[in-house]
Amino acid sequence: MKKFLLKIAVYSLVVFLIANAIALISLYFLGQSNLYKPQFVKNGVKEKHFDYVVLGSSTGLTTLDTKQIDSTLHTIGLNISIDDSALNTHYLMLQYFYQQQKTTDCLILSVTPWDLGNDNPVLSDNDYRFFSEQSTPVVQKYYQTIAYQGFPVLKYSRYMPFLGVGYYNTEVFYPSIFTILQPEKRNRFDDRGNYSYPTSGKPKDTPQQTIDMVVKNPYLGKIKDFCKKNNIKLLIYQSPLYKTKVNMSQNELTLNHSAFLQSKNLFYDNLHVNKMGRKICSEAFSKQFSVLHKIKD
Amino acid sequence: MLFNSIDFALFLPIVFILYWFVTNNNLKLQNILIVVASYLFYGWWDWRFLSLILFSTVVDYLVGVGLAREENQNKRKILLWTSIIINLGFLGFFKYYNFFIDNFVAAFTFFGNPISISGLNVILPVGISFYTFQTMSYSIDVYQKKLTPTFDFISFSAFVCFFPQLVAGPIERATHLLPQFYKERNFDYTQAVAGVKLIIWGLFKKIVVADNCAFFVNKIFDNPDVYSSGELSIGMVFFAFQIYCDFSGYSDIAIGLSKLFGFDLMINFKFPYFSRDIAEFWRRWHISLSTWFRDYIYIPLGGSRGSKLFQIRNVMIIFLVSGFWHGANWTYVFWGLFHALLFLPLLLFNINRSHLITKSYGFIDFVKIGFTFLLICIGWVFFRADSLFEAFRYLAQMFAFKSWSLDYFFKTNANMLLFAICVLSILILATQELIWVLKKKEIPVISSYGAIVLLMLLIFMGSFKNQLDFIYFQF
Repeated sequence: MKKFLLKIAVYSLVVFLIANAIALISLYFLGQSNLYKPQFVKNGVKEKHFDYVVLGSSTGLTTLDTKQIDSTLHTIGLNISIDDSALNTHYLMLQYFYQQQKTTDCLILSVTPWDLGNDNPVLSDNDYRFFSEQSTPVVQKYYQTIAYQGFPVLKYSRYMPFLGVGYYNTEVFYPSIFTILQPEKRNRFDDRGNYSYPTSGKPKDTPQQTIDMVVKNPYLGKIKDFCKKNNIKLLIYQSPLYKTKVNMSQNELTLNHSAFLQSKNLFYDNLHVNKMGRKICSEAFSKQFSVLHKIKD
Repeated sequence: MLFNSIDFALFLPIVFILYWFVTNNNLKLQNILIVVASYLFYGWWDWRFLSLILFSTVVDYLVGVGLAREENQNKRKILLWTSIIINLGFLGFFKYYNFFIDNFVAAFTFFGNPISISGLNVILPVGISFYTFQTMSYSIDVYQKKLTPTFDFISFSAFVCFFPQLVAGPIERATHLLPQFYKERNFDYTQAVAGVKLIIWGLFKKIVVADNCAFFVNKIFDNPDVYSSGELSIGMVFFAFQIYCDFSGYSDIAIGLSKLFGFDLMINFKFPYFSRDIAEFWRRWHISLSTWFRDYIYIPLGGSRGSKLFQIRNVMIIFLVSGFWHGANWTYVFWGLFHALLFLPLLLFNINRSHLITKSYGFIDFVKIGFTFLLICIGWVFFRADSLFEAFRYLAQMFAFKSWSLDYFFKTNANMLLFAICVLSILILATQELIWVLKKKEIPVISSYGAIVLLMLLIFMGSFKNQLDFIYFQF
């Protein structure tokens, strides 16, 4: 029995060491790349100060084109949105952005009524994208404190990175091998962080509906506090939704585009605009943004 | 509790330590621990169905005791039928009740007399087909005086609910497993190491091969109309590997776990995709079930004795029952029929035993292996499809040979990556098994370095996010 337990212990240790070594190498190469937004913000963005940044999930990523806005307003903007994420991820990204010694005058926070109404935020689908940055205090703290559905893999990956790299193998491990060959490659966003959906998709026909935005998500308060502390102007933006109008709170500085577009041809699906819709939204946003910016001042 | 879960990763070392260190090699305490651990293992899924296992255990124990004391043949027969009726009654109610009701209603409606009988919202208790068959084998063996009945209720309970093989087999015979609960068990280093390696191999099959393939299989089988012939063919082959690795992976883990506790379970799979005909496939696939049917149905029916017509009848019965055992759906019955039709020519020409497992391999054998594999894959379409209509639709679409494009697998980076993982893992599995087959091994033989490599593959190629239940749990 003693021999058996010793053998199991020795082999477990060997596996543990090799797996962790592979995982650390994988995370190192991923951390040196521009593949996902956190790595892009760290390695791929030269500027230190921005007039505004767009932060949100896929709606923020695909609705406001910072290149178009900048060419109209002569500003410097950046899109740091991550698809399939929520307010907790946005808060993490904002903190991470500042930890990279980058600053902004204005934060355009793209929200959805469903996310704002969620009083029980948990780890978002794409939060693993910060994994290579887990030595950063804000990321470390986030992985330790956020609620998990199922086994908290990222929480325990701090000292056992093979857990996270193995669990997210198709998202982290294999792409990290790819980044050795192409460190400049970005995962579905351009050199200012924007992405657009093609015009091939179509939304489903649903009855017209109106939703009242109810804020229950505690992370909105955290974002507001962060903005206040760092002297950032906060603009809450609601992107167009197909056949859905959102009534937004008047307490904040908001820009509501929920019912701005009507044509089916401007949508990729019921929640996202396509390339044509993005162009119209960015144009309208540019005009309204300059006015709102002045009002707030 | 799933073998591939965190819960089980904590459960196993605790039970192992209690078993070898706390019980002090006291046989009774070890058996009690097995019963408690097994009930906890099963109750983790749904504690309510523990009563079914307990009831089945009590019934067959009492039947065994009754058979030991009773010499009158008629009364012995009554006791045996009590066991069979109760066990099959449970199985029939939980597994087949709604199927029979639906078909009864459909038949009446077809003949112009629509009737209305509502089905029940019955949950199928995990593993009911496995432990029911195991306990029935005990009663039958005792009745046939092949086995001395036990008066030790704890040992018998441990035999019925032994957690490594409780929910998905191998379906053990009382003659093989039950006596192991009477013998003193001492820790065997060689057996334990072999057990751990088998567990690793089983986990590799389940988590790397089966669960990764499942991603594409589920999508393709859900909507076969939108895929090309090439994509459907690959979906079919992936399912062949998914079902094999899922089920044989479970058996490997079960056998490996048993070795850790000093038990020896029967081999359930002998590299079945290296079969040269269907008869050989059935000597290599789910051996514990096929031998159960052979011993308790086929041979009592007369087996291969008698006229050809008589033999054909027996073969048809055995394959149809085998299909129906898998589930209450005509797709399983058709799958059984399909295999029967492939087997019958071999029987009629008396070549059903021409490819015995020990025979060596030549070039022509590999051609036969390829052809047999193709036939088995076609059969799997019936097994996997939701209905016979869906299965035929799948095959019609596949054999339409409209397009051999594999665009779906290269549509996104994620798909491409996962497809590469599936292909690579299947190649690793097939190469390794080929080596064992050529070396005439009957079970996986893994070196210590091989085990480390397998663990690495498991960590970095495993499908942990899309972990699925073992398919055979539903049977």
